[in-house]
Amino acid sequence: MSTTPRLSHSAALILKALSLGYCFGLDVMDVTGLPSGTVYPALRRLERDDLVLSNWESEKEATASNRPARRYYEVTKAGKAAALAATERYPLLAQFVQEKPS
Amino acid sequence: MSESFERGLPLLDRALLRWVGRIVPSSDRLEWSRSWHAELWYMRHQCHSLKATMIADFSIGMTRDALWLRTESWRRNSIGTATLCLCSLAGLSLFAVLIGLALAGSWRSLNAYAASHVGRSLVAGTLVVFVSFATASRGHVAKNSKISWAAKVNRQLFLAWKIALVWLVAFFLSADLSVPVFMQIPNTSDFFQILDFILLALTGLRWALLDQELRCKECLHLLTTPARVGRPSRNLLEWNGSEMNCKRGHGLLSVAEMETSWCEASRWIELSRYGATGDGVPE
Repeated sequence: MSTTPRLSHSAALILKALSLGYCFGLDVMDVTGLPSGTVYPALRRLERDDLVLSNWESEKEATASNRPARRYYEVTKAGKAAALAATERYPLLAQFVQEKPS
Repeated sequence: MSESFERGLPLLDRALLRWVGRIVPSSDRLEWSRSWHAELWYMRHQCHSLKATMIADFSIGMTRDALWLRTESWRRNSIGTATLCLCSLAGLSLFAVLIGLALAGSWRSLNAYAASHVGRSLVAGTLVVFVSFATASRGHVAKNSKISWAAKVNRQLFLAWKIALVWLVAFFLSADLSVPVFMQIPNTSDFFQILDFILLALTGLRWALLDQELRCKECLHLLTTPARVGRPSRNLLEWNGSEMNCKRGHGLLSVAEMETSWCEASRWIELSRYGATGDGVPE
């Protein structure tokens, strides 16, 4: 039996954006077009369900660039499986979010 | 976050952070505030064409995020508690009363129906309680536990409330079920009502007693993380069964897979008594 959680469309979109390299809340909002009221609580839910992990940028590095440190999100192994399952469930998902230009 | 970045935010943002931050549980407030400070700073400094709608959207996002943290904290703290159990039972009895009201048509008819059936259900209910206690499993009686007197009283009060609410739910649900029967075959509806009541009350009381056994003896939280210990094939050589923990760390319940002469009942092991490492836990 599969243990991959079934995600809502917006949660799947956010997870997809994170798995494509958009790791900050503001970036996810920009690329998905979702409002902040959807993105931030969804990120919290994904983190609670162990699909994403959040960490803080190095304070020293951020201060050196004259900006505050940000919280960034990473997709876990379970999150990658969930993103894959969500792409199968929502085939048009890949069209909404493009890979982050390096 | 350094002071200079905080000062870099307009007064409106800082006021918003202060006001909305009050919704966030105190344990998460610092982290929440830090991450929203950063997000607002980037919104102000990175977005070249900042619109009023964007600021409004961020305010909504911040509030929803704070509300999510608050509700999540409530959910985390209330899950498995005795209060939640009693509230759920009270909600279920209210639901049963409302269905009864919808079927009866008015409060007066519902009152008349309840008054004519309550005596019989009280007698049946007493018998059901007697049968349930007489046939309840004695396997979970914790013989070696030294629980405080206040905790014991709380535990018995909780059981009494559960039994009363289960009785109420069974009574009104049986009444709800017998109303359609009454419309078709009026003479047999009383029989159906009492039969339904006995079945519902018996099931409810069995659940109430089982639920009581699977709660922490100190704080009445539902025991969690059941883990199998030992191997059934070695039942005569060593202990095997399952262990469940109180998530607040009061203790653990060891439930034997099979009752043996040297392990007849399950045991409640108070972790606070033996220390976190379990030193001195009786074998």
